[in-house]
Amino acid sequence: MAKQKITLAVTGLNNTDNPGPGVPVIRGVKDSEEFDVRVVGLVYENLEPGIYMEGLCDRIFQVPYPSAGSEELIERIEHIHQQEKIDVLIPNFDSELFSFMKYEKRLAEKGIRTFLPTLKQFQEREKDKLPEYGKKYGVKVPNGLNLGNLSQLNEIEKRFDYPIMVKGQFYDAYKSFNIEQATQAFHKIASKWGLPVIVQEFVSGTEVNVVALGDGNGNTVAAVPMRKQYITDKGKAWGGITIADEKMLELTRSLIQKTKWKGGMELELIKTNAGDYYLVEINPRIPAWVYLAVGAGQNIPEALIKLALGMEVKPMTDYKIGKMFVRYSYDMIVDLERFATISINKEI
Amino acid sequence: MQISEEIKISDNGFVFNSRTGESFSLNPMGLEMIKMIAIDNGFDEIRESILEKYDVDELAFEKDFYEFLAMLKHHQLTQQGNPLDFV
Repeated sequence: MAKQKITLAVTGLNNTDNPGPGVPVIRGVKDSEEFDVRVVGLVYENLEPGIYMEGLCDRIFQVPYPSAGSEELIERIEHIHQQEKIDVLIPNFDSELFSFMKYEKRLAEKGIRTFLPTLKQFQEREKDKLPEYGKKYGVKVPNGLNLGNLSQLNEIEKRFDYPIMVKGQFYDAYKSFNIEQATQAFHKIASKWGLPVIVQEFVSGTEVNVVALGDGNGNTVAAVPMRKQYITDKGKAWGGITIADEKMLELTRSLIQKTKWKGGMELELIKTNAGDYYLVEINPRIPAWVYLAVGAGQNIPEALIKLALGMEVKPMTDYKIGKMFVRYSYDMIVDLERFATISINKEI
Repeated sequence: MQISEEIKISDNGFVFNSRTGESFSLNPMGLEMIKMIAIDNGFDEIRESILEKYDVDELAFEKDFYEFLAMLKHHQLTQQGNPLDFV
């Protein structure tokens, strides 16, 4: 059967030590037996490694940060669309999702399909609302406190035992063992990601994650659980293994069913020694380790494209247990010309 | 005591818990014992087999064996129906 030709636009080509999901998403899509994909890479910075990876993207365009204004970002996408005729767009950063959700309809009218959570789904799982989320959907979550200013730091010692986790709204998390460390973490995070800064009870246990895809009607189209085997100092999985944990899958299916989650997601969980699961975060997008799911038998990026195109997708329930991913770093030698072109022309 | 269903034991001594993702390495003696436990051998059968094959006294075997069982239990490699059943 001939493969269906599509043009896919993807962000998150920053394959650094805190990698974006763009490159693994593209790898997954290139493995597809149903789509012949032309890839348009959308980058914010001119040193995102995906720009320089041979055979990854057919075109590259630099786009303005969402912080410069959603309107500007969308106008740039529309301008790129005039040249490239984008069929599907997969945004891969938490911080840009709001803009794409807000303009989902406008993009769709132009022929750019997305498959994103609704604004309600996106907002209710935000880190500063996690306690309410846990209560509403019957999931254990760590106790939390939102700090709107520095004076609230005094509250910490009244409500928590150390250590605690101090987290930003979008990224960054620091384990703090005393008020001095917590104050330092507060300043670091507030200056980078703004307020509130979130304080969470530290739950001791094993870090396990699930990558999943919801169809927006309450059905889980794909779900693969993974245990982090090697964790970087930024808390990112540098190695992981698929596991046969039915409780994690049940929790995922239940959350997707109750919330009618639409799109890719990652559940970050802590499994305690007592066997309890605490939900510490929901990332409203495909995570950077998604290629492990592809390797284990569930091509989540391909399924997401199908859903975006309105195609029928049968739920995938099988995956290979004990499949591992091991990340590595690799020095690419590139010509100055490519760097100069993206820097000056904002496209390649 | 039984080895949990999700535990996969390789002939080279690599033990993988498919539910938790943890893995362990056993030396040849550990491998021999876990294999015997896995096929439902009782304490007496395992003791007899080990004492016959290796130069070890009964007391030393018993001490090491129960230490090994405690380790298996600690790493959640076993399931125990009756808590009074040691093997």
